[in-house]
Amino acid sequence: MSANRWLATGNYFTSYREEQRIFFTSLDKTAMLLFILALFAWPLFFHVGNKYMLVVDNILVAVIAVMGLNLVTGFAGLISIGHAAFVGIGAYTIASFASVLGANHILLTHAWPLMIFIAGCMGALFGALVGLPALRLKHLYLAIATLSFQMIFQWVINFMNFFNQGQTISIDRVVWFTGQVSRREHYLFWYYAILVVIVITGFAVRNLLRTRYGRCLVAVRDNDRAADAMGMHPGLTKVYAFGLAGFLAGVAGALHAFLYRGVGIESFTLHHSINYLAMAIVGGLGTLNGSFWGPFVIQVLDLQVERLSEWAGAHLTFAANLATALKPLSFGLVIVLFLMFEPRGIANWWRITRSYVKLWPFRY
Amino acid sequence: MTHLIVSDVTLTFGGLHALSGVNVDIEPGLITSIIGPNGAGKTSILNSISGFYHPTKGEIHYGDRCLTHASPHQISNIGIARAFQNLELFSGLSVLDNLLLGRHQNLKYSFLDAVIYFGKASRLEAENRAYVEKVIDFMELEPYRKEMVGNLSYGVQKRVEVARALTLAPQLVLLDEPMAGMNIEEKEDIVRFILDLKKEWGITIVLVEHDLGVVMDISDQIYVLDFGVLIGSGKPDEVASNPKVIEAYIGEE
Repeated sequence: MSANRWLATGNYFTSYREEQRIFFTSLDKTAMLLFILALFAWPLFFHVGNKYMLVVDNILVAVIAVMGLNLVTGFAGLISIGHAAFVGIGAYTIASFASVLGANHILLTHAWPLMIFIAGCMGALFGALVGLPALRLKHLYLAIATLSFQMIFQWVINFMNFFNQGQTISIDRVVWFTGQVSRREHYLFWYYAILVVIVITGFAVRNLLRTRYGRCLVAVRDNDRAADAMGMHPGLTKVYAFGLAGFLAGVAGALHAFLYRGVGIESFTLHHSINYLAMAIVGGLGTLNGSFWGPFVIQVLDLQVERLSEWAGAHLTFAANLATALKPLSFGLVIVLFLMFEPRGIANWWRITRSYVKLWPFRY
Repeated sequence: MTHLIVSDVTLTFGGLHALSGVNVDIEPGLITSIIGPNGAGKTSILNSISGFYHPTKGEIHYGDRCLTHASPHQISNIGIARAFQNLELFSGLSVLDNLLLGRHQNLKYSFLDAVIYFGKASRLEAENRAYVEKVIDFMELEPYRKEMVGNLSYGVQKRVEVARALTLAPQLVLLDEPMAGMNIEEKEDIVRFILDLKKEWGITIVLVEHDLGVVMDISDQIYVLDFGVLIGSGKPDEVASNPKVIEAYIGEE
């Protein structure tokens, strides 16, 4: 342990355990703690309308989903173009319970944390099933296999009466210790619920990444022949990666279902899969904090572009067609620019900023 | 001590006979070299032993276990480690993580332990880290511990490759041209490591190498292959005076 616990200038580790820690200095730890506290506290001081709270909630749900996608695509290197379908599996697990038991059944209104967990498990199950081709296929062929799952999922939901043919299946408001969550507090309540889930899953994933269950993902990404020689079954490791991604996607789906108080197919289409992939790329593939940057940037960008196109549509009538194209256009542009100029994503900017601040006022 | 016995192994790819009826007996605690001109089937033997290829005919036994149809991860779990000829490292990870991956099977904690981390997972990680440090110390990799493997020089990467095989705590290592493309000092280092492995760690070594000077110096037993056929075997001096071997290497008069 260094003499200064707040700002260590070098490596003062005296045991292996010290080196395994997530936070190396008390400053890191306190900063993280304060950041999490701030996330919990800010709604108490700033009252935002439901419309914007919904945007924030959406970002948080996407964070969980992208965290899963990042595990399978970023860490394990398996491109998944069916991630929205896994999110959909989670949401439709909740919807299935709602349509079998009734939307106001006690399991859904009171035991909703359990339901979220079950939805995650269903996601993991389907993730592992869809990951089975990874035993034989690689690279783009595997990506096509996940794409086919996306298509099958949409098709099944659209054609089955049980799932209301993709029309919304509604879910009741949940009950908290203070009674049923009211319409006004609904989005605020779910903000806290999702935040708690993020904190738990975030630390869980961070822990996984510093153990054999995280290292094996990177091993099969970098060299699955050598991974085999090191004593891990490369195929099963890939299936496991898909299962892990499916779990987080399922949890995100369940949260989405509760947040919107309903499940419809329009939230789980191919478009959303690509959106998740874009978030992962923009945030930074293969980094944990990238899963937080990506959804935030893409959603905020979406919102601003929507505003701009509304304004343009109203004021520049001759450009009305262009205004509607603005959203997909800017979305595509951002992905292309990131792939060209910063393929390591915003997480890389964060890394550079951090090391700059750490060394300031010296350059290196 | 366990013998590794390759008996009458034939390996064919379509019409190509990579190995035909090869018998190799690898005695425990010794350095056994497999040599031969390019394309003789040296790497094919290693691939058959480590499970990347399965022999078309014949059998491979390690002690009383049959390895003929085992897969690479099963073979690495019974104590046979492999260092590759062309670097097959995890280039996106640090040297330390590469070596810790070699401890994969020894980190016996469950998924739930890993998620919680504190307690069992943390303890086992630290214990295995200590083992990895022993290997780092032995292979003199201390300055590179935290470096990304992809950024290291070729010679160091080769050393990491051997070190990673050692972290599996094997009884037998298969080294596929550990000295290829190295200068004389780096070669001397590797030779020193190999001799120490035999003497201090008591590990059986199977060496495939082109540098005949090195092979003749350090081997206890040599097998010579040519076009997939075993043309000679024995102690270094026996092999050196074997007319068939001379013919394969230098040609007929």
